[in-house]
Amino acid sequence: MATLGKDDLAPIDLLEGIRRRGRAWEDLIVQYGVKNPDPPWKVTLDATCDILAAESCAAEGQVDDPVLPVLERRAEEDELSSGTYEGVPFPERQLLALAHSLIRRGLIDEKELALRMKQVHERLTSA
Amino acid sequence: MAKTSDQSKKGAHGHEGEHQHPPAPMVDEVSDFEVLEMAVRELAIEKGLFTAEDHRRWTEYVHSLGPLPAARLVAKAWLDPELKKLAVKDGVKASLKVGVDWINSPPTNFGTPSDYCNLRILEDTPTLKHVVVCTLCSCYPRPILGQSPEWYRTPAYRRRLVRWPRQVLSEFGLQLPPEVEIRVADSNQKTRYMVLPVRPAGTEGWTEEQLAEIVTRDCMIGVAVPKPGVTSNVKMPVHRAVHPIEHHS
Amino acid sequence: MSKAHHDRTHHAKKATGIGDPQCFKGEGGKPKFKAGDTVRIRDMADFFYTRCQTYTRGAVGTVTLAVYESPAAEDEAWDNTDKPEWFYSVKFRQKDLWPDYPSAFPNDTVETEFSERWLEKA
Repeated sequence: MATLGKDDLAPIDLLEGIRRRGRAWEDLIVQYGVKNPDPPWKVTLDATCDILAAESCAAEGQVDDPVLPVLERRAEEDELSSGTYEGVPFPERQLLALAHSLIRRGLIDEKELALRMKQVHERLTSA
Repeated sequence: MAKTSDQSKKGAHGHEGEHQHPPAPMVDEVSDFEVLEMAVRELAIEKGLFTAEDHRRWTEYVHSLGPLPAARLVAKAWLDPELKKLAVKDGVKASLKVGVDWINSPPTNFGTPSDYCNLRILEDTPTLKHVVVCTLCSCYPRPILGQSPEWYRTPAYRRRLVRWPRQVLSEFGLQLPPEVEIRVADSNQKTRYMVLPVRPAGTEGWTEEQLAEIVTRDCMIGVAVPKPGVTSNVKMPVHRAVHPIEHHS
Repeated sequence: MSKAHHDRTHHAKKATGIGDPQCFKGEGGKPKFKAGDTVRIRDMADFFYTRCQTYTRGAVGTVTLAVYESPAAEDEAWDNTDKPEWFYSVKFRQKDLWPDYPSAFPNDTVETEFSERWLEKA
């Protein structure tokens, strides 16, 4: 039950870049004339948050403590939403806060995430 | 590709010359957020935080949630006094009447960290109006009402509703006379709440389907009351709390 | 150092197909309070985790219902599920929670839940 401290709420370079440059769903739907109020990835994001908070989320079928309990994640999301990610629309804000919480807990490495994003981007934009 | 489109033109479902619907517009752009979501998920799986198979099951579950079962339950309860009694007494059992199984449908088969299996359906009367909040985080009766709206998750709503309920409700366009008791239900333990509003005048003789249409999500959170002709929720701008109340811990 | 292992399989096994909090039914002992009792919310020290909100501490309210039995949130957060308690729904008058609540609306109330340890007779 490690909770993040004040320093942990400071901006993270990779996520700062996404915050500044990333295009939110509310802008994309205007440009492309799409009706769906939520981005397609919202469902998988919600599932990720749920499963990290569930006590059944561990490899090899072993039941273990939650990786990221819901109350902690939500408290951090609130803190980050009124600070570092203020002004970012929802659910983009929830996603940035989740990534922030995971990086600060050492569950995901910032450099590793940057590399993986590059790979995913190439995969999604290749013909 | 050319072959496929040729087939679809002459396929079993269409006729030559029939008006072709333009494809629904889609976002033809890969955003950084879409990439971030996928990258986080893949790394979490590789690090063993959860398995791909578990994630698929949870995604299917989340995808299946929405406010329609709750609206149907309210409509049924308005039409059937016996069901209304059951709903008020045992919300989990009453949910089965609209196909929602609180216990066995989540992937855990015993509820989830945010969906404990106790639902209380709060019955409004002409002199008692319920409204639901979770002051701690954003607990919400998801199995029957779907994902909570954004404003429900904000500190501005959560911290202010228990303190200034009439002010918050009037921001939603709901002003109630002083003789009506406003009862705020704060779901900070294992019970989840939904509101069973009063059936409005002007709906006499309506079918279950007609009634369910005016029972919006907002009506079941309690920030609105059903009205004939109103079938959509209020679009709420999200503001920061002006007078935030500090969390105790 | 081997990881301190909290085996939570017992909870999954216990609750599967039954539900949580249903799986703790019958384990809370005899309820100390009943509907209609006047109670005061105790202002106890809490360490690291609680779900008992600040705004209710020290306030006096009325029990509306003994709702279910469950380990208290303060125990369950540490996987201590040995001693389930009764939970009660308690209703407060708004002006008993907030002294400056407008007197034009004397009927307004808040209802929320507490585990038994947080309540005392008032």
